[in-house]
Formats: sequence, C-alpha cells, structure tokens
Amino acid sequence: MAKSDFDNANPTVLSVSQLPSRNLAKGHVRKGPDSKYDHILFPKQWWAGSSLNSDPSVWTSDEDEDDDLTLATEEPIDEQEIYGKNYAPSSCTCMERCNLLSTISDPEHPVTLGQIAVVRLDDIHLSPSPAERLDPNTLTNVEVDLTPTVNHCSLATVIGLAVRVRLENALPPNYRIIVRMKDGSHAQDDQVNKQLGDKERVAAALENDTLKGIIEKMLETCV
Amino acid sequence: MATETSTPTTPATATTAEITPLPPFSPDLYQRAWASIPHPSLPLIATCHAHSVTVFSLSTLSKHSVLTGGHTRSVRSAAWQPPRGKVSKETKRLRLVTGSFDTTAGVWTWDQGRREERLEREVRMQSGEDNKEEEEEEDEWELTLVLEGHENEVKSVNYSPSGQYLATCSRDKSVWIWEDVGNPNPSSEAKKEEEDEDEDEWETVAVLQEHDGDVKAVAWCPDVPGRKGKYAPPKRYGDDVLASASYDNTVRLWREDGDGEWVCVAVLEGHEGTVWGVAWEGRQREKDKFPRLLSWGADEVVRVWSLKEPEEEEHEEGAAGSGNNPWGFGVPNTMRRSLKEEWECTAVLPKVHKGDIYSVAWSTETGLLASVGSDSVLALYQETANTTTTTTPEKTEEEQTNGDAPTTTTAGGWKVLTTVKSAHGPFEINHITWCKRYDAGSERKGEEEMLVTTGDDGVVRPWQVRIQ
Repeated sequence: MAKSDFDNANPTVLSVSQLPSRNLAKGHVRKGPDSKYDHILFPKQWWAGSSLNSDPSVWTSDEDEDDDLTLATEEPIDEQEIYGKNYAPSSCTCMERCNLLSTISDPEHPVTLGQIAVVRLDDIHLSPSPAERLDPNTLTNVEVDLTPTVNHCSLATVIGLAVRVRLENALPPNYRIIVRMKDGSHAQDDQVNKQLGDKERVAAALENDTLKGIIEKMLETCV
Repeated sequence: MATETSTPTTPATATTAEITPLPPFSPDLYQRAWASIPHPSLPLIATCHAHSVTVFSLSTLSKHSVLTGGHTRSVRSAAWQPPRGKVSKETKRLRLVTGSFDTTAGVWTWDQGRREERLEREVRMQSGEDNKEEEEEEDEWELTLVLEGHENEVKSVNYSPSGQYLATCSRDKSVWIWEDVGNPNPSSEAKKEEEDEDEDEWETVAVLQEHDGDVKAVAWCPDVPGRKGKYAPPKRYGDDVLASASYDNTVRLWREDGDGEWVCVAVLEGHEGTVWGVAWEGRQREKDKFPRLLSWGADEVVRVWSLKEPEEEEHEEGAAGSGNNPWGFGVPNTMRRSLKEEWECTAVLPKVHKGDIYSVAWSTETGLLASVGSDSVLALYQETANTTTTTTPEKTEEEQTNGDAPTTTTAGGWKVLTTVKSAHGPFEINHITWCKRYDAGSERKGEEEMLVTTGDDGVVRPWQVRIQ
C-alpha cells in the first residue's frame, strides 16, 4: 500500500467554483451575515433541539414533527447535499441544508475543508440510501471519512468534531453520524475514530469553551 | 426466587411480553437527559440533564423538585443514598450524589426536618436578617458538599449497598472510593438516634488507576445472600465488590483486601469497544451462588459474567497458607494464593441493537433484562434453559411494538421476548431502569414493576410490561 495514496500533504488548493457540484441552482450561493454563525452552532432546529439547544420554544409537538419529517423525506438528503456547494433546492426552506461540510474552515489556514480535500464528496456515504427510506424514524447512517492533510495532523480530532457538530445540528435526529479518519490516513486513526464516536466525550468536549470557540470559528464560513 | 436454572424445563414454554408506553413524566425536559435513577425505597426518580437534576414523583408522574446551581457543566449521573436507620427519618431527609462533567461530585441534601427546625428558629427570633432564609426556602435541595479530586469529567457515581462507600469514576482513567465518615455506621443505631445531625464528611480511601481509558461506569454488588454465600470467594476481603467499565474495553472488579487496600481482583476482557456500563444481578440465585454481572458497550454486545465457583479449591487454600494469613510476610510470592478471582463470560445476549448499547437494566423481581441504545430500540430478554428453543412466540396483532417478529434467537440461555422500535422516536436512548409503579394506573402500587427510559429528546418515559 503506497503511503502516498493517503497522504494529503501539500494539497492542491481548489477554488470554491472548482468543487464538485450538481449545480442545481446555478450560481446560487447562499450567504448570510457573518454574525449568523451562532445559529449554525446553536441552530433553531425545527425537529427539536440538540444538547446545545435549550430553548423550549423551538420544540414542536409530535404532530408537527411528523409533518416536518414527512417533508424531509420527500426531499431526501443525499451525499451531495451533505458535502455542499451551490445546491439550493427551491423547496428547501425549512432549514439550511446546503454547504454542510465543504465550507467548514480549516482551523489553521484560511481555506475550507473542501478546498484542501479533507472532506471529499466520494467519502461521504449514506445508508440506507435516501430513496429507500420511508418512515421518518428510520435511522440513516451518515459516514464521513476525512483525509487529514498530514498523517499525524494534531488537529484531526478538532476537524472531526467540527464535522460531527455541523452534521448533528443540521440533520434531523434520525441521522446517526459516523466521522472517521480515512483508513491509513492518520497515524492514530483508531484512537481518533473512537473518540469521535463516543457520544459522552463529544458532549463533554462541547462544554469546553476553548474547543467550542475553535469550532465556532471553523463553522463561521458555513453560513 | 431463582427458579429458571433449577427447573430447566419450564422456560421452554414460550412467554410473551407486551411493552406499552405510559404517558411520559411531565414536564418534558427539552434537552438531552442522561439517566433516571429511582430512589431505592421512595416513589421518586432523579433525572440528570444539563447542569441539573429533576426529581419526578412516581405517584403523580410529575416534577417533585429540582437540583440546580451546583454544577457548572452537565450532570452525567446520580445516586441516592441507600435508606438507613428508621424509614420515617428517611422521608425527612433525602440525599443524592451527582457526578458532573465539571470534574466534581456533589452531595445534595433535601432535609425536611432541618427546614422545619429553621422555620421554628425563624419564628422565635423574628428580628431582621431573615431575607436569606426565605431565599433558601425555595430551594429545598441544598448542595452540602463537593467532592473534588478527579482531573476530568466525572462519568458515574454509585453508593455501596450499606451507604458506607461511594465510588466515582472519570475520564481521567481513575476510580475513586470515598468513605462516608460523617455518618455513624448504620450498625450503631443508638448513636444515630440521639444525634440526628449527620455530618457531611468523606474520606478518600482509594484511587484506582489501573484502567487504560476513561472509566465510564461504576456499580457495587448488591447485598444479596449470594454475596456472602458459600460460593463467594473465601473470606479474605471485605464484602463490598465494585465493578468498573471502561473505554479501554475492559471491566475490572475491585475489593478491599482486609488491610484497607483496594485491589483489582479480576479483569473481564471480551468486549471489542468501549464498555458503557455494568449491572449486577440483584436477585437471589439458586444455592446462593454469587451474583452475576452484566456488561455492555459500543460493540453492540451484552455479556453475562459469572464467578467461577471455587468448590474444592477452598480446601486447598486452607492447606497452602500458613494459618489464617496465607499472604503473610515471609511467604514467597509464588506460594501466595493469587489475589485474582476467576470470572468467565457465561452468556452473550442475542444481538438486537445496531449501534452502541448505552444501558441495560436487570430486574430484581423477574430477572428480565431490558436494553436500550443509540438505535432507539428497547429490547426485553428472558433467561431460558441452556437449550436452543425454536418456539416462535405468538405475535399479537394489536401489539404496539412495531418491532421485528419477536425472535427465535436464543443465545447462551437468553432469548428476546420483544422489542420496541423507535421507543423515543428517532432519538438515541441513554438509559433504562426498572422501578416500582406508584401511579394511579397501577393495579399493585409499590409492587408492579415498570421500565423507565431516558433519551436525547429530553423525554423520561415509563413503560408498562405485561408478561404472559
């Protein structure tokens, strides 16, 4: 196995317009004021809150939830949508689903994870695939394999955490998010993967102000 | 009554179970709730969520009281002080210990007696400065002591059956054992009678650092006859046994060695992922065998562990050692009997969950097991004879459980009775426990058992369990 296959050192920096896209809404890139990043980290979720959301007013009754989830299944979320970029279905007004991952900033450099190919469209998998889902309670696994830029990248955990937070906040509660380092791409990938898969550790990490600050900053560019 | 194993023919007759949701406790918490711990004797259940604990009444299924303001980060776990002394006193004083991500454990007291006393005092000396008393009145729970020592998040807290010890564990890979030295020993009743005011005083008696990863949970072996029965290890340690589950994929068992030192007596290996929790068998076993232990985790597996019964070895021990002190100084290491206990995995539950199993509850009444996890499924299991049954339990049409066909799967003497899918909608379920029913809908208040699940949706839901 050639190590270089996995190394992503010195990545080619693509411009945003070069990123894979379905171009459904040509040239339509959603933008919002920068100050809005709070809503990404603490979004007003229409289906109910996450651990970070303690505002009861955004909670909906069971019936509303069903309606919304039906709506969501009518417009299935697919890998492209999770990856993001220029995809803004006109019917999708209930939530910001676009540019979920590719526009997250790198914690160190002024580029997005999509630009340096830490997040790649080909490495995002949904199972069962959106078309097969019927019941809004049917669980869907979202598997995201990340490719760190260097195989001992110390920020791998932080990047993984940002990806997980982003997806947890943006996707409905029937999605189970699995964020991993792509096989062999990171020296301690097992360790990092285990940490990212541990709900309790993730919850505790998000109560750490320093870490939360870094992640908020990374998600600023996601609006 | 532990009859299953002694009469291996009966379990073959298919038992069917029906689990129906009861109205959830009110109000909803609207945020992730981690666990709900029933009081050992009173109709109360404490739910941990965010920085607080909400105590619900099992009679009214609504809020009884709230513990707030004591922790700066999420409260992950809670434990009630076991009832001691006169029951009447217990109703006046409640004590709950909370474990929080803020690295501390909090000891909380809800003291009806003290409140009354204070009110009396207030009436007597009416002159001024009563403002702060009024404030306190709203909060019936008082944080009376903070146990500090852990370096990272405290994940679990648990009282030993007598209430003498408290165990806490943390991401810092350690288990701490604290001894309640402020409370007179339950045995010295007389002393307790005259001096009602227990002091909050705890001493650290052990810091156990043998785990290689976060310690996720701690559980003390309950005081059932088997704990000291003839199958219990030779009387060389204290009676209390602590089990700890870890991110390092193992479970460890700990005992006090008789000299005040706490030692690891067994390492249970077999899980292929984080062990999320451990639970002891709380029901007396046939021939007073030593209680078994359950463990479950991220590998989607529930394991049953049993102490390998010493049998003849007991005699050997007497012979090998020099008198009563086989490990006394002077005896070469090789001659000393191993401090280890032999535990073996005697069963693996049929696989139901797809995703981390976060919690399993073992009924002290019926011996049934119930599990929940990240897949929102609630599963109920029953122990069978050690044979594979092919009986298909009847499926009732109107059964709310839109789960899979109650399985024919039998593994290691356990079968799945029923499953409930989407028990908290699409949300993950963090905790499950058995507890007694006291609500109006119960036919046998205080006796009938129900299940209570706690989820990421902030819902704490009781479930009626009917077994035919």
